[in-house]
Amino acid sequence: MREFWTEFSKIRTGLVGLGILMAFVVLAVIGPAIVPFPGAIDHWRDISFWQDNPQAAPPVWTNALPWTGGKGVVSSVLTHPEFSEEKEDSGVTVRKYVFPYAYSVDEPPRDLVVRFQGQGQVPVDISVHRPDGLDAPLYREQLDIAQGVLQRVSIGRNCAQEVIEFVRAHNEDLAAALDPDLIKPVSILFSKLDPSMADRPAALTGVYTITVTALLLNDQFAFQSPSVVVSGHVSGILGTDLSKRDVFTGIVVGIRWALIIGILTSILTVFVGVVLGVCAAYFGGAVDWLLNRLYEFVYLLPVLPFLIVISAVFKPTLWTLIVIICLFFWTGPYKPVYSMALQIREETYVEASRALGARPGRVIFRHILPLLLPYSFAVMALSVPAVIVYEASVSLLGLGDSSIVTWGQILHDALGQGAVINNLWWWVVPPGVMIALMGMSFAFLGTALDRILHPRLRTR
Amino acid sequence: MYRAFVLKRVLYAALMYVVMVCVYSALFNNVADQTLRAQIEEQVRQESTRLKSASAEQLHALIEVQRQIKLNQYHLNEPLPSRIFWRSVRTLLFDFGNATIIKASNGDRLVRGIILEALPRTILLFTSEVILTTILGVALGLYMARRPGGFLDRFSSAVTMITNGLPSWWLGMIAIMVFSYTLPLFPSGGLHTNPAPTGLAGVIDYLWHLSLPLLTLVVLGVWGTGYVTRNIVLSTLQEDYVMAARARGIPERRVLFGHTLRTAMPAIMTLAVLGLFASIAGNIIVEGIFGWPGIGNLYFIAVQQNDVPVLMATLAIETLVNMLGFVLLDLIYGFLDPRIKIGGRA
Repeated sequence: MREFWTEFSKIRTGLVGLGILMAFVVLAVIGPAIVPFPGAIDHWRDISFWQDNPQAAPPVWTNALPWTGGKGVVSSVLTHPEFSEEKEDSGVTVRKYVFPYAYSVDEPPRDLVVRFQGQGQVPVDISVHRPDGLDAPLYREQLDIAQGVLQRVSIGRNCAQEVIEFVRAHNEDLAAALDPDLIKPVSILFSKLDPSMADRPAALTGVYTITVTALLLNDQFAFQSPSVVVSGHVSGILGTDLSKRDVFTGIVVGIRWALIIGILTSILTVFVGVVLGVCAAYFGGAVDWLLNRLYEFVYLLPVLPFLIVISAVFKPTLWTLIVIICLFFWTGPYKPVYSMALQIREETYVEASRALGARPGRVIFRHILPLLLPYSFAVMALSVPAVIVYEASVSLLGLGDSSIVTWGQILHDALGQGAVINNLWWWVVPPGVMIALMGMSFAFLGTALDRILHPRLRTR
Repeated sequence: MYRAFVLKRVLYAALMYVVMVCVYSALFNNVADQTLRAQIEEQVRQESTRLKSASAEQLHALIEVQRQIKLNQYHLNEPLPSRIFWRSVRTLLFDFGNATIIKASNGDRLVRGIILEALPRTILLFTSEVILTTILGVALGLYMARRPGGFLDRFSSAVTMITNGLPSWWLGMIAIMVFSYTLPLFPSGGLHTNPAPTGLAGVIDYLWHLSLPLLTLVVLGVWGTGYVTRNIVLSTLQEDYVMAARARGIPERRVLFGHTLRTAMPAIMTLAVLGLFASIAGNIIVEGIFGWPGIGNLYFIAVQQNDVPVLMATLAIETLVNMLGFVLLDLIYGFLDPRIKIGGRA
């Protein structure tokens, strides 16, 4: 083992491959802890889970690129308000949450969404204090909240009339020019009160404070964990897709499935191929003939068309997909193993073992398979990239397991929803790069293993 | 001797093909029968509407007779094994029947016509891809082999590893995004502009539409071919006769092209042939992405629209193409290496 390691550490590409693979494994393990939307694994196709994200927003770092024109608002969630509580003599508790928000770019956010949970009849009041000293009351409603249900108040959708009222209170003429059906309330809220407002609002930068006040009429009623979602123009490390999903979260979650599919399938594939190859060589005769005809049959099948038909008919889950891919791929190691096993069978120690009365199972598993192990490891690593590509291809066609998130499925959505036509590159590039990276790491690893373990029986 | 080997190999492949078609027929038997019945029903009803003079009872009897004739013609009244058998026979005779949804460009429903329309386009795309890839790849491989361990060698080897696990359809998506939408240099898909120009302009238009899928495939394929060429050439360069040639003072260029490449060429050609046949049968998604209406695209549409006759026909044709590739390869091997044809078994 130590010998192996010293030799392995001399092969630079092998180390690189191992390094990338390790990074993938670490990401797959700690992934749920570092992604911005940890619930995504179970809610990837749940529209309401993603509804507060901006749609098709580019990654945050595109703001730093010189050729993108105006700087967009970064999507964020304000979660730590300044909290104050007053208990009045009448038994009513007033809870006040103040969210400061520094607004410094040219374009206003697409929406502000106030989210909270609670229980019972709770009067809720939302207002915004602007940098120019004006206060805009936006929302005042007595809500009947059921426990455990997330409440949402969208300024953009629910508060158009209030925003116009706010403008009217300060400038009647300006308010008259605003059409409540056409305006974007959030843009008005974040722009200067001057005549330009109606058609080209000028940004009013500075610190805004969003105040959420809740009245708790008695002890049974509750109001908890308010937060403000600022829905911006750029979002997250890798942007969002057309269904408002965070691409980075999807990519990180996809790592684990790619690893599971790739590694499990290649282990299963190589195991089946090696065992069948050894059996054919060891038993000879009818078994040999039958297995070789089976090999030829599968070898001649056009893999992808057949995979597609099977997937279309059976609507496979992850596990059946693994088995199906295995049904086609075991032919890879079969022939080399067959020829190697033919030679090993004639070795004297195998003969001796048989002469001592060892059963075939014992001879195969104790004397023949161990010799083929090094070769098997190399083949396993080398077959992972192809497996991942095939899974991605099947998923791209919409025939994968729809209960998990794989890179192929992200690409399927991207292709189906016109990401290519609309130049949403942050949705298309990362999944492919990840597929390539993972394939590369296994290819590096496999060639390195192949070089070190170079099975002495390999004749070619 | 070689003739016997050829005969044996071809017969064996034909047998294998028959077995596979039987398997397909059995797999699709249920759905295919239903489709065929529905088509017969429709046909009979259409014919009956023409007979206006007949009374209702006469009409009914006539329809029944017609239906029985048709059902017997397609052996649909017979037990399951017999139905599968006759379906296999029809498939083997390239009689695939009518498509349920898909039509040829002239509106025809005959599956054979649809396939004959799509196949040449696929062959054109992938043949030109394989030719370009082989030429460029061999050139790259030779340059790599000249200075093993040099910059070009290491760079290309790394790129080979990267492209190894890269789906070609993904690169196609990127290519369309960059070269069709961001920089509108190439069309995003299809066979020609509408309406198609005629004469020389038509040819140029066709090539223009061909270029983006072709470039994508070549850019991805060159590295693998280069890498293999490099390995073959490098191992050939260790041979004694190369050393002897060098010792005789033959210029390095001639050693490389005359002695080394000549020995390495059969293996490279094998790779190219194999790649060609694999692409024709397997590059479904690339055609889909580029909207190239070839056999792969047809297959994909057939799967999506559940058009079983087309699906089965395409699968049979792709299997046949695949099979032809392997047979051709075996024949080349047998021709090059006498040991194979004597043994008769790989």
